[in-house]
Amino acid sequence: MSTLVVEDLRKTYPAAGKAAAVEAVRGLSFEVRRGEFFGLLGPNGAGKSTTIGCITTLVRPTGGRIAVDGIDVVARAAEAKRRLAVVPQNRNLDRDLSIRELLLFHGLYFGLPRAAREERALRLLRELQLQDKADSKPAALSGGMQQRAMIARALMHDPALLLLDEPTTGLDPQARRALWDLLKEQHARGLTIVLTTHYMDEADRLCERLAIVDHGRILTEGTPQALRRSLPGGRVLDLWARGGAPLGERLGALAGVQGVEPVTDDEAAHPGVERLRLFVETQDGLLDRVLHEVRAAGAELDHVSLAQPSLEDVYIHLTGKELRE
Amino acid sequence: MTAFLGLLRRDLLVAWRTAPFLLTSALTQPALVILVFGNILPRLGLVADEFRTVMVPGLMAITILMSGVQGVLMPLAADLSGTREVEERLLAPLSARMVAFERIVAGAIQSGIAGLVALPVMMLLVHQVSGVDVKPDWALLLPLVVVSGIVSAAFGLNLGTRVQPRFSGLLFAVVLGPMMLFGCAYYPWASLDALGSVRFVFLVNPLVFMSEAMRLAVTPEVAHMDPLGILAGLAVFAGLLCWAGARSFESRTIL
Repeated sequence: MSTLVVEDLRKTYPAAGKAAAVEAVRGLSFEVRRGEFFGLLGPNGAGKSTTIGCITTLVRPTGGRIAVDGIDVVARAAEAKRRLAVVPQNRNLDRDLSIRELLLFHGLYFGLPRAAREERALRLLRELQLQDKADSKPAALSGGMQQRAMIARALMHDPALLLLDEPTTGLDPQARRALWDLLKEQHARGLTIVLTTHYMDEADRLCERLAIVDHGRILTEGTPQALRRSLPGGRVLDLWARGGAPLGERLGALAGVQGVEPVTDDEAAHPGVERLRLFVETQDGLLDRVLHEVRAAGAELDHVSLAQPSLEDVYIHLTGKELRE
Repeated sequence: MTAFLGLLRRDLLVAWRTAPFLLTSALTQPALVILVFGNILPRLGLVADEFRTVMVPGLMAITILMSGVQGVLMPLAADLSGTREVEERLLAPLSARMVAFERIVAGAIQSGIAGLVALPVMMLLVHQVSGVDVKPDWALLLPLVVVSGIVSAAFGLNLGTRVQPRFSGLLFAVVLGPMMLFGCAYYPWASLDALGSVRFVFLVNPLVFMSEAMRLAVTPEVAHMDPLGILAGLAVFAGLLCWAGARSFESRTIL
């Protein structure tokens, strides 16, 4: 059975004052199997946080159905909440309690007996390397530590599903890697995890399966490998040139070139430069033919690179734009 | 129910840790009022002697109202702030309305305690500064304090969820201040006969019923509203404010 089922989810925030109504999620469906590490990848404003909000009962869906472990989150909210835990984007630790106390109280809210609460809090403080700060208030902790404290809190009631909303935004690279290791470890122990991110590398490293989301819809879904394979050709050639006639059509006609897309972000920083992304098959002489064509057009080559496609290329191919940071 | 009691325990623990601050803020005002109106002004011949007895239950009602409103308003400000600490509560296995109701109960307990601490302090003070003795009916007082606490905390929940934080400074000037002046705290309802039918306008103010309830239990010898009227007023306000407060809490927190 799937741990999480989201069916045709819709959410429209009603108009308020001068702000018009916002259609944040427009018919989103996906399933997460037990023990799976699933990712929702998309730019800010794609509807990821709204989706997490709907799953965790903090946002009321306008339409569709969500079930956690078969329990409808709207009709049986309290039961569903027992089975899920969330690490939100904003750091919402209880400011008036110490880290140890807030873990113990979280256990109390979920009806854990005293001995179980204390044993689990102690174990999580140790596992997440928070023992030294156990008696400090959240404000005295670094961002990375607060993040770990939120994960410890989420794990206190032994959820079937852990949701993380942009967990590494604002963390330094070291804390980010430590968090990745921690999540991998929890996943290896069998925890079902859903993560939202706008970092391609994060999705690529952690997620077994992911959905690319934009404007409240899923554009595509699959394993990171399958998504990369879905690109035409199999390799990506980035090419910048200046001067001369437009290159797009000329290069697109070459044998071995499956597709050409202009790169249009940040145009102001590259005046007079034509930037192209070519989806190519690896063929003998391909680079030669490309270079020949560039020269024939009277253009000068600024930069060229050939690489394995990344999820970013998949994203750009699907949306025609870079990830908005 | 476990989640409800857990949240209540957490709130009372946090309130207990700030008890000196809460009690100081609850007791300063009534103590000073007693000093001025119970000793200084009567000595100057500016206030009638009867006023010293009339003001004790009224000040107790004001203490309960202010503590109840503050007991809900202050934690709610953190809840609904940018960090949205309220999410931790909303993710506990209980409904959003129960989360709201828990806030009311926690605020009511705080305000009841503040009222019950304030009364003996005021009795002692009023005895010291003006030689007046007040003999409360404690058995009658307790349940009335509980209901008054619920009315106050539920009123605080309505203020906290309906008034934008940037206007909270205005609350005292335009809401709580007038409530206290027109809340029969400094004069009994019975004396308002002098105003004719205008006096019924005062009944939109829940503090009127709280003041009369305290008057009934603390100074039964002073003229007061019919006990049934007091109970009906308190019950209607408690029900209405709890219902409206929980609704507005839900719509503020669940998007």
